[in-house]
Amino acid sequence: MKLSGPPSDIPAARRIPSIFMILVFVMLILSAAALYQVIEAYRSTRTLDLANSVLSLSAITISVYMFFQLKAKPLKLGFEMQDVLTTVECPQCGHKNIREFTRGDFIFKELEPCEKCNESKIISSIYLKPEEKQKKRKKTPF
Amino acid sequence: MPMSAAVQAVSQGIFPVGNDLGWIFQLIWLVFFVVFMFYGQRIQMTVMLREIAGSLYKLRLMRDKGRSMAISRIKELANPNEDPTPRVDRFLEHIYIQPVDLDPVGIIQRLEHIIDVRDLRFRDDVRSMAPQADETQIDNLTMVLEAALDLNQIYKIIRHFYLQGKKTLSIYTVMQLQMILPIVMKQSEALANALRAFTLGQPFGDGAGCLVAGRLMHGSEKREIAKDTVVGDVMVEGRRAYVLKAKGPGGRVGRPGEAIKRILEENEGKVSMIILIDAAVKLEGEKVGEVAEGIGVAIGPAGVVDKYKVEEIATKYKVPLNAIIIKEDLGDAYSIMKKEIVDGAEVAVERIKQLIREKTKEGDTVVIAGIGNTMGVGQ
Repeated sequence: MKLSGPPSDIPAARRIPSIFMILVFVMLILSAAALYQVIEAYRSTRTLDLANSVLSLSAITISVYMFFQLKAKPLKLGFEMQDVLTTVECPQCGHKNIREFTRGDFIFKELEPCEKCNESKIISSIYLKPEEKQKKRKKTPF
Repeated sequence: MPMSAAVQAVSQGIFPVGNDLGWIFQLIWLVFFVVFMFYGQRIQMTVMLREIAGSLYKLRLMRDKGRSMAISRIKELANPNEDPTPRVDRFLEHIYIQPVDLDPVGIIQRLEHIIDVRDLRFRDDVRSMAPQADETQIDNLTMVLEAALDLNQIYKIIRHFYLQGKKTLSIYTVMQLQMILPIVMKQSEALANALRAFTLGQPFGDGAGCLVAGRLMHGSEKREIAKDTVVGDVMVEGRRAYVLKAKGPGGRVGRPGEAIKRILEENEGKVSMIILIDAAVKLEGEKVGEVAEGIGVAIGPAGVVDKYKVEEIATKYKVPLNAIIIKEDLGDAYSIMKKEIVDGAEVAVERIKQLIREKTKEGDTVVIAGIGNTMGVGQ
């Protein structure tokens, strides 16, 4: 049984943004038209229809926001290669060295003798490279 | 003319006179109102189905990528002229039937037997796919294929409910599916992440307990006490400690339940304390790598047979059960080990020593078991 053949009954997810994009575009045109009407009315009567102008401006803002939100983002599946670090340590003198992970590494693996004390070095830990400190997000009081 | 003014005002409100654009807007609003009144639920369901389809599309990509990674890893280890694809596809369709629970008597023994047979079958299948691979590579490859199998199963189950909801137009089916989807996606992403780590034999979050046991037993003499489980006899704070974990660095979980049972029987129950260390799913708001202590058997739901065995033997000999857990997210448990978890393991080692000092006397015997998958962690 071949698994990679795409089942025809499931619509492709990448089509969704284009449909929404059209909707957002229509919404933007309608709200721009409404704003134009408000301006025209103001020119002729010299009274501002506050409710309509607020509504049309909000609609324009929302449509622009949605447009940027719907912009196709690269699909992350979780298979991406990650930076992994290996800590090599001498149990005798404590000399430590951090390097990139290489295939065959495992924790407590014995390696070559230490340059300082000649005792066999071991891999003391293997871990994911910590991410750079991200922008501080607003914290909840909890 | 008060009457005509009122009529004009009303007509201006519904269909504005002399304003074509306004008239069109009003009509659009009315159409929207009527459509939403009659087809609101249908529209809502369509939106939900589209959202599910998006996730399903992602799940299918994950499944396909997982499968291709498994195939390429087998090709690296096996004969490159032989195509393992049909065998991998057969493996990915493997099913597991749980024992009858209508009559719960002896269910643990029956479950253990089925799990043993499943493990044996998986390893045999993998060995026949890559006959040149060593034991560690076989274990890691089994893990890769199991993760690919899980991704395939998740995809197929979600697709089943999606198509069923679409066919029956049942908003309740679709709604339930949409509600659980964030957790399912999180699990799938964690599995996808793990698959990459499995191909390279890197330690992952679930191995935190094994890392702690490894720290305590490193440098001591070890023996295999139960299938895929090693024990080291070490002195910790002046007490004799049997430290056990799954045999690394291949992807194994061992048989900690059977191992603890054998140690207690060897010592005729003369053990002052059993300490189990495992990774546990944290609650939202808690920090990754936090260490907590408690009472009971710290073994997750996947190790129900081992949990039962430890509880049974500890109850028989009245040995106190202590648990130390290292908290992590569901995603962290199947992702490459984070620095916070490595640091948490150091804290856990100190907590074990503190617990032993406080609750036992010098010369006593204790059992320390590191629970979890030992991939990438030796001893």
